[in-house]
Amino acid sequence: MDDKPILELKNVRKVFGQIVALDSVSFTLKRGEIHGLLGGNGAGKTTLMNILYGLYRKDKGEILLRDQVANIQGPRDAIKQGIGMVHQHFLQISNFTVLENIILGTDVKNKYTMKMDEEVVKVKELCQRFGLNVDLNDTMSTLTVGARQKVEILKALYRGVDILILDEPTTNLTPQEVDALFVSLRVMVDEGLSIVFITHKLREVLSVCDRITVLREGKNITTLDHNDASEEVFVRAMVGEKMDIENSIYFATEVRNGFDRTTAEAPVLELEGVNVVSPDGVPQLRDINLEVYGGEILGIAGVAGNGQRGLAEVVIGVIPVTSGKKKFLGEDVTSKTNESLLRSGFSYIPEDRISDGFLPKATVAQNLILGQHRIKPYSDGRFINWKTVFSETTRNIEEYNIKTNGPDDIGGNLSGGNIQRVMIARAFSMDSCLLVAHNPTRGLDIPSMDFVYQKMLARRENNQATLLLSEDLDELIRISDRIAVVYRGQILGVLDRGEFDKYAIGRLMSGITSENQPAEEKAIS
Amino acid sequence: MTIAKKALPYLLAVIASFIAAGIFIALMGFDVFKAFETILFTSFRTPNGFVQTMLKFVPLVLLALAFTIPLTAGKFNIGGEGQMMAGGIGAAAMGILFPDLPAILLIPLVILGGVVAGALWGLVPAWLLYKFNINEILTTVLFNFVAFFLIDYVCTGPWRDPAAGHPTTVAISKSAWLPLLVKNPPLHSGIILAVLVAIGIYIYTSRTTGGYELIATGANPRAAGVFGIKTRNMFVLSLVLGGAVAGLAGAFEVAGNQHRLIEGMQSNFLQLGLIIGLISRGNNGAVPFVAFLIAVLEVGASAMQRTMMIPVEMVFIVEALILLFVLLSDVVRRK
Amino acid sequence: MDITVINFLKLVLLSMVPFVLAAQGTMLGGRTGVFNVAQEGVMLVGASIGFLVSYYSGSIFLGIVVAMLSGGIFGLALAYFTTTLKMNQFVIGLSLFFIGLGVSTLLPKLILGITLTPPLIPTLKSIPIPLLSQIPFIGPIFFNQNVLVYVSVLVSIGLWYFLFRTQKGLELRSVGEYPMTADSLGINTTKMRYWSAIIGGTLIGLAGAYLPMVYAGTFTEGMTMGRGWIAIALTFFGGWSPLPILYGSLFFSAVEVLAFRVQVIGSFLPHQILQMLPYLATVLVMVFTFKRSRVPGFLGNNYDREKRSL
Repeated sequence: MDDKPILELKNVRKVFGQIVALDSVSFTLKRGEIHGLLGGNGAGKTTLMNILYGLYRKDKGEILLRDQVANIQGPRDAIKQGIGMVHQHFLQISNFTVLENIILGTDVKNKYTMKMDEEVVKVKELCQRFGLNVDLNDTMSTLTVGARQKVEILKALYRGVDILILDEPTTNLTPQEVDALFVSLRVMVDEGLSIVFITHKLREVLSVCDRITVLREGKNITTLDHNDASEEVFVRAMVGEKMDIENSIYFATEVRNGFDRTTAEAPVLELEGVNVVSPDGVPQLRDINLEVYGGEILGIAGVAGNGQRGLAEVVIGVIPVTSGKKKFLGEDVTSKTNESLLRSGFSYIPEDRISDGFLPKATVAQNLILGQHRIKPYSDGRFINWKTVFSETTRNIEEYNIKTNGPDDIGGNLSGGNIQRVMIARAFSMDSCLLVAHNPTRGLDIPSMDFVYQKMLARRENNQATLLLSEDLDELIRISDRIAVVYRGQILGVLDRGEFDKYAIGRLMSGITSENQPAEEKAIS
Repeated sequence: MTIAKKALPYLLAVIASFIAAGIFIALMGFDVFKAFETILFTSFRTPNGFVQTMLKFVPLVLLALAFTIPLTAGKFNIGGEGQMMAGGIGAAAMGILFPDLPAILLIPLVILGGVVAGALWGLVPAWLLYKFNINEILTTVLFNFVAFFLIDYVCTGPWRDPAAGHPTTVAISKSAWLPLLVKNPPLHSGIILAVLVAIGIYIYTSRTTGGYELIATGANPRAAGVFGIKTRNMFVLSLVLGGAVAGLAGAFEVAGNQHRLIEGMQSNFLQLGLIIGLISRGNNGAVPFVAFLIAVLEVGASAMQRTMMIPVEMVFIVEALILLFVLLSDVVRRK
Repeated sequence: MDITVINFLKLVLLSMVPFVLAAQGTMLGGRTGVFNVAQEGVMLVGASIGFLVSYYSGSIFLGIVVAMLSGGIFGLALAYFTTTLKMNQFVIGLSLFFIGLGVSTLLPKLILGITLTPPLIPTLKSIPIPLLSQIPFIGPIFFNQNVLVYVSVLVSIGLWYFLFRTQKGLELRSVGEYPMTADSLGINTTKMRYWSAIIGGTLIGLAGAYLPMVYAGTFTEGMTMGRGWIAIALTFFGGWSPLPILYGSLFFSAVEVLAFRVQVIGSFLPHQILQMLPYLATVLVMVFTFKRSRVPGFLGNNYDREKRSL
């Protein structure tokens, strides 16, 4: 590493509507370093890098690239200037092949026949050099998350970039895959690349980055060499002065006892030998046996796409059980509809809030009563009591800190984090025996995450049951009483709180149990 | 937001479209001001003009509702025309088949015949959607053409009126005629029912749980389904309801207006209904008001063609432009 | 018998043209995500303007060109309202349909006056291809058609090659699948969407012009009779791919010709039932093929780069 900056962002400002996403942010990237960009959700990390990559237009500020002012109007300019970006949500065409995805947007030699022998050679050479193995003829949709990430990185390398931006690259990777990624990143830096590593996970940054810049609420707080500062300094920088770190669950270090099942009564929810086959004949869940007790938080870990969504939807009654039994407080509810389950005390925070939980064209009030619109106090079964709905909504907006113009604001005007708060308010504002929460803290800043954790722990005190499905392993370890690991629709193991170990869970997440051999790397869907 | 502020974009849209049309009319060498005067004031100058407007208003408000009710649930019913024709056939069949029933029985039967036939015509696409997940937009459109040939068959078949130069059935029984609200110029009492239907639909969609479920389904069917709303039932319900309302329009045309089934009586009510529905942005409460304005324009358009030889389509284009400008006002507001 | 079959097949090919062109136009726009539903209106405008221009200029060719241009203008309008102004594609499509409907009736009335019997224009002649048209059976069916039959086939094959064998085609398809990806790789999604909608529009306009120039020799109100809507169904039927669309149009055309022939020959069925056939067949086809149809991933949606992903 030499100390010359390859890239400088100076006083960048960006406003979305009335929200200031970035307020005079500066950032310097040195040649040959891995630079961590750390911050909670909504801190502006991705926005900043999207500006650098030309996806967003900056309102103010300056970009200096190799000491010259760079004018980046769009991704095309960014790529031309040697900047590549791997987005958190992979930007790929799922029905194109790997090769087509990699060469898309570049000039191939045989433009009018698309014979791509030369390009294949070049890509294969890159695969080898950086240890990124993928089959170029595979269709994208058949690949695992890990493999798709490799394609994203190859796409950037193929374009010969020397600055690579990685946005939350470890989401959905097992701890083992994360380690492998870090090794690859080191190889790239040794070959002369400079890397920006965007993340909200402090430990990751500390383990791989040379320098770290912390953003909070659209402002840059500090940039430090990772050897120069302790963890506390970064924590404080990330959350600001207002948050009470001492009592925070997010940063809690002391060990909490697990749930004591010996004193519990019958489980709230039982799944016995549940199998689910999707309509097109693909098995989604295989022989699931689980129970959740009142006063317990059961965590479900797994790489995304291994059946978590199916599990949540089976419990809540959105998709039917193919075989097996589902019991609620001892009563068989296998064939009950989601309508009657929601009525009898289930609540649900869906994984995909936009598609499964939110009514963008309806008002905030209409959103808050979804699923509860047939029961008191919101309705007498025939007519909706809009007066009560409005007063309750106003109260919830306050309690859950939803930033909106009021109960009759249109849902589509809300930001992602606030939509998530609506989901949370809807699920927690009614007393429910069983909460199924799928990635409930996605898109929330740290204080809001902490608020959700408090709410979940309060459920524990009230003897209510919680099924927490999360892609964030740290979150599960933080808050669950037990963790069950799903892999390709099966439960590979259940660990008690005393036995939580990141790498042990990681092995299960990639399908390795003590009995079997490492499984091959293909997704089920 | 005050009402004045809300109405402003609409007013601007109307003015803009009239300016655009005015330029065109002037270029064609017509007297712009006389044309506009005719378009805007024919409805209010004579009792006959006003009654004509009301007679237009009835099918327009119903066809617009036939579009906006399913739209509330996120479904596009472009089949109001076919449903109206089916309703007309159903109503005419009752009026021709049971000529001897007393009016007190026959009138409800005729109306019911129209409503049921329209609902059935809406049920077919609804069922295809429910059962096979077939997009309703195309099926509703295609069934307009099917209804078109069906009405041609009925009007040239056994019930044909040989005296008429145009495909037409014989007149329905006098006791099936809707009673008149105003004798001269004649205005049938269907308008009362039409207004009641509009009010009922408004209350249903804005106040009841069923209406909420329609709205939730329209806002995001996936989420509504996840949270316990039977969305596919909502789709069927909304399309059948839409069909029934369009069928009612057909029954009124037959029993109140023409007293027989006439090929072509569907006029361009479908397109106008869609325009009304879209200008109202699918808001069932706004539909009657917009429908009245469009009825005024339509009556003015006919007068303009009669007196000035400017084709009625000129006004249709004005109406389409109003729609476009209303939609554009959204974009302006977003900026 | 042989002659009947030859005539039938020849007619099928002749009548497939509006389906092919309108569906390929729809497909091309849809491949970048711009879903046109104004076909019926655009075709009517093409028919109306093509007829008027041919009548006054005496040149069918000029009529065709102007009809295509007018279709292109509708495509441009669609692209502008949806891609630049990000307005709902379906609602804009309907509005353009209304405007097309109005314009197509208004223009002849304004220009020719409100008459009952519109004038006739000469129709397109068959152009036998030397040698090939002499082949027995196949020759008269395939190689003795009017020029637009050949054009429609060539357009289909050309579109297939362009979409699946060229770099620009790959880029175009990527825009319709997932424009964020295309955009992030420096592909100009806006330009792609504009051009595909405009060229798609010209094809639809041409499809409309075919009607007065080959079938009727004149323009009548609403003469498309739902062919524009059927073209949309056909596009889904063909899985948004040029060659299956070409084959599919043969089927739709065959039903239309068959209904017409049986009607002429006479049958025990009322002719209205036969006339319903194309529409009922379309619905039936939708029942059997729609579920399996592959649709461009971003069809009907607008892409806004700076709209923050929620």
